[in-house]
Amino acid sequence: MTGLDLPAWSEPFTNIPSLARQLRLQGISRDWAWGGATGAGIKVGIVDSGLEASHPRLAGRVVQSVAVELEDGEPQVVPDDGQDLYGHGTACGGIIVGLAPDVELVSVRVLGADLRGKGAAFAAGLEWAIEQGIRVLNLSLSSKSDSLLPVFHELVDRAYFKGQILVSAANNVPAPSYPSLFSSVVSVAAHGEPDPLRLYYNLAPPVEFGAWGVDVPVAWKDGGSTVATGNSFAAPHVAGMVALILSKHPDLTAFEVKTILAAIADNPRS
Amino acid sequence: MIADDDLTAALTALRAVGRRSSVARSLQGDVEQRLLQSIVDATASLFDAEASSIALFESDPDRLEFRVAAGAHGAGAIGLVVKPSEGIAGFVFSTGQGLAMTDVASDPRFDREAAERTGYVPRSIATVPLLDDEGSIGVLQVLDKRGSPSFSLRDMELLAIFAKQATTAIKATRVQRDSVRLLQEVLNQIGDGAMTEEQVETLVTEATRGLDEESETPFWHLVEHIAVLRGLGERELSLVSSILEVVARQAQRARRRA
Repeated sequence: MTGLDLPAWSEPFTNIPSLARQLRLQGISRDWAWGGATGAGIKVGIVDSGLEASHPRLAGRVVQSVAVELEDGEPQVVPDDGQDLYGHGTACGGIIVGLAPDVELVSVRVLGADLRGKGAAFAAGLEWAIEQGIRVLNLSLSSKSDSLLPVFHELVDRAYFKGQILVSAANNVPAPSYPSLFSSVVSVAAHGEPDPLRLYYNLAPPVEFGAWGVDVPVAWKDGGSTVATGNSFAAPHVAGMVALILSKHPDLTAFEVKTILAAIADNPRS
Repeated sequence: MIADDDLTAALTALRAVGRRSSVARSLQGDVEQRLLQSIVDATASLFDAEASSIALFESDPDRLEFRVAAGAHGAGAIGLVVKPSEGIAGFVFSTGQGLAMTDVASDPRFDREAAERTGYVPRSIATVPLLDDEGSIGVLQVLDKRGSPSFSLRDMELLAIFAKQATTAIKATRVQRDSVRLLQEVLNQIGDGAMTEEQVETLVTEATRGLDEESETPFWHLVEHIAVLRGLGERELSLVSSILEVVARQAQRARRRA
């Protein structure tokens, strides 16, 4: 049994709803939201497989790398060596730097030989990043452990109330996934239009936003690159936009950031 | 320590379950393997793909083993073993997050070594996790759609549906495969932790020894005969079926007379 009776996965992001009935927020334009912004002064945490700090696409923007390790089964956060086991974290970081070139990236590695995507390691990494006050967190992975539901719920609420933005990739397989199901995160699925700033707002949650996630050219391990598809690559596009917005308007709350994203979405308005 | 009565009851239950699952195996062959094969066959055909394969997680040491494959370039993948901490298969398994990649072959660093071991280096790969209630148990992979250079969102959605089917099939058939492990757990619970792992292991080995040869009732003998008959052709089967019909009618008459 899952703790939440909600559809937990993303349908392909193809039917873009019209926002004719929605929001009288015409005053909020993209220019207002991030015109002239570069992401300067904003830290973005990549909770993933690590960041290859020397990768050209990351442009020297990695300021800190930590990893979660299990000591006697207990997760501990320790310094990491700026490597990426798979390439996936580096792919996400590269997308963000591509949109917001002056952000500072923090790598929180929660995957590894001994971790194998353990939910407890993910939760420990997320908790560390929240405690550090890292303003934007990109979570292109999820846990399906129902036993961790209360842990994640508490963590994402804590982040929300502190004004931190958790951008979470929706699972693209039919299964529950945390924390992307929680209403306090910005949950993202992929659309197929090759434009890094094309953003859609979805009126039927749990997935609230759609960003480019099909055939995205991304950085990969060992200085390499590839072309990748998945919600994993849609979330960092939104994380990049959020970093831009916050670098121009640092005092925004999580609720306000979400509202701005909805207001500047590319959905048809009539 | 365990009370003698408890132990006897546990051993009897254990032998009965072991015997039935052994008969079920001989009746059906390796169901898991056949179901998985039918899923990769369907996947390769539906996507018109060069290859499709399923890798399952095994422990000690932790690894992903490619168990079945289909498609013109699939065969080389069977038996391939990769670490869960490496490559696309490892990532998808570890995170439960499906993804697809193109331009794989043009990147010399990308999983090339593993791909070359299969005898086929793909241009594009789509990988989705096999997720059950506990987490990932493996991955389903498709290489190179013939009609398209990459995989669409719709493809990923369809693949996820196939993966769901594969997971259900695996779960159903693992009940058989895991019966010994299950019984070890039962014994452990009865023993309330009083027995060491080795003691339990010894008991289970002792209790399940020779199960395949031993028959409990003539009925199970009959089931085993029928298992053998599965190999016959249509005409022979029809003959056997007619004989059994006559025998069954005789049995009914005998019961009525009694």
